[in-house]
Amino acid sequence: MTSTTAHTHTLDIINLNIALPRGQRLLRNVSLQLEPGEVRALVGESGAGKSMIGKAVLGILPHKIKMTEGEILLEGAHLNAMTPATRRRTVAKMSALIPQDPLTALNPVRKIGPQITDPLIRIHGWSHQRALARARELLDRVHIRAPDRVMHSYPHELSGGMRQRILIAAAFAPSPRLIVADEPTTALDVTVQKQILRLIRELQRETGTAVLFVTHDMGVVAKISQKVTVLFAGRVIEDAATHTVFENPAHPYTQALIAATPTPNVSARPFQPVPSALIAELHRDTVAADALFAQRGRR
Amino acid sequence: MLLKTVFVRLLTTAITLFGVAVVVFILVRVAPGNPIAMMLPPGATDQDIATLNAVYGFDKSLAEQFIIWLGGVIQGDFGTSITLRQPVAELVLGRLPATLELSTLALLLAVALGGFVAVIGARKRGTGTEVGLDLTSGAVLSVPDFLWGLIFVLVFGVLWPVLSISGRVDPRIDIDFTTNFYIFEGLLRGRLDVVGSTLSHMLMPAMSLALPLAAMIAQLLKQNLKEALTQDYTTLARVRGFSETAVILREALRNAALPTLALVGVQFTFLIGGTVIVERLFAFEGLGNMAIDAVINRDLPLIQGIVLLFAALFTVINLLVDLSYTFLNPRLRHG
Repeated sequence: MTSTTAHTHTLDIINLNIALPRGQRLLRNVSLQLEPGEVRALVGESGAGKSMIGKAVLGILPHKIKMTEGEILLEGAHLNAMTPATRRRTVAKMSALIPQDPLTALNPVRKIGPQITDPLIRIHGWSHQRALARARELLDRVHIRAPDRVMHSYPHELSGGMRQRILIAAAFAPSPRLIVADEPTTALDVTVQKQILRLIRELQRETGTAVLFVTHDMGVVAKISQKVTVLFAGRVIEDAATHTVFENPAHPYTQALIAATPTPNVSARPFQPVPSALIAELHRDTVAADALFAQRGRR
Repeated sequence: MLLKTVFVRLLTTAITLFGVAVVVFILVRVAPGNPIAMMLPPGATDQDIATLNAVYGFDKSLAEQFIIWLGGVIQGDFGTSITLRQPVAELVLGRLPATLELSTLALLLAVALGGFVAVIGARKRGTGTEVGLDLTSGAVLSVPDFLWGLIFVLVFGVLWPVLSISGRVDPRIDIDFTTNFYIFEGLLRGRLDVVGSTLSHMLMPAMSLALPLAAMIAQLLKQNLKEALTQDYTTLARVRGFSETAVILREALRNAALPTLALVGVQFTFLIGGTVIVERLFAFEGLGNMAIDAVINRDLPLIQGIVLLFAALFTVINLLVDLSYTFLNPRLRHG
């Protein structure tokens, strides 16, 4: 489709379909692009498939969940065409993940330092000194005081916010072209959430890394992204610039999502849940589309 | 804090050992069979029996006997063996190195073999290889150690006689060691002939003891590895470009080793219990073999000494397991 465009997208997902072994579809014909230096938010409710997109790109789809159709291009390279080992190395060299839960994403029995420097040395082939210097630099950048002491600590000795900052430092350390941030603030305190968001945005601007930001929080979307992709039941139902989406949402579901975002000023704009009639209608659409898809497959 | 822990530990150990001493002392005297009857030729007079009873103190009450024995134990005197006529402490400590070397080798074999199979099983999870390994370890586990011993004797002693089936070392080798740790001291002194011969004698009994434990480690460690491999930190390691094998060895193994270690500690004490029969089977001159002789001959002081030593050994092993647990788990280190 768009694979022959003149300039290279950082990430180009074309007609991605992902399904469970029995054929239940988790992603339906999802296409999206990320330009260099762009932050794209992926929003949708639980189970909409937003995390699946990031996992498919990084090659960490859960056991038994498979890509059934589609193409993923990272910096113009066709990931599907590669052997698993090549794909793993290519993805690792060009992209990184900021995980959802900082409490489980660090190995509890290993010190922080090696957990940051190991990939730099063993995958990116840096010298020990260079990796150590880079880790120190990044830890300093994410406002960790006494980086050397922290690198000699174990995860349980640090707070959740600190651990997420360490994971952000680790993600940016090899200067990746793409970072997948999988709800990186969901597991954190509200007060810490803001700091973390600001850090990701700052580092992203400084480095020009493209970020695929997975979230269910429209408030976060407004703060961090230039583009938004709204998913419902594995389908893209809206894909536009962030300001367009907030000022003039095209799809009723997007309108409902924005209306459902709580604001401090409750009297001015009371909180409105997404209407269940709308959700039911969207589900009917999905079922109908799937039936059509199945029919097409049979012919 | 540490001092208190050590003190509590020593106190519980002392209480445990005292309890073991009481139970054993009473059991061997209540159980049928009389050491004096074993010593005397048929047709001994009542007078002879009474004399011997008095010599060994069996004419006194149970409580009196216990207090006399305990008094000796506290001073390091565990009594004299009735059949061997030598101090029990000397006999028992002379045999201890053989059993320690045997069970240590068995433990090392079990950990190496079980660990290897577990890593392969975790690497090949969800495939036929994993199922095959599971079935194999299940089968290995269901054969007890002494039966493995018989199988090994048949295969490597009779059908294809490459290993020595009896004793601890070739009797033709001249050994003038200060300790009875043949492997340990042999390595230190560079007496590789002794080490080689001892290993050739130890391999079959050690494997017999090791196989069931290896199978258990293989199953449990694989399960724990699979659990660790679903954790976020292993996913992150994959994203960072590490191969599945690297993820298992570098990220998952130490986390999976923690719960496995608790079981290995308990099972290792069972393994030492298993030496009693396996040593007998291979005529291996260790504590276990001596224990069987002592029981057959109703050598009460010797039985008591051996059981007490086994009990002390078990508490030491438990202590070592706890220590290594703290060492492996950083969350316990800064208590």
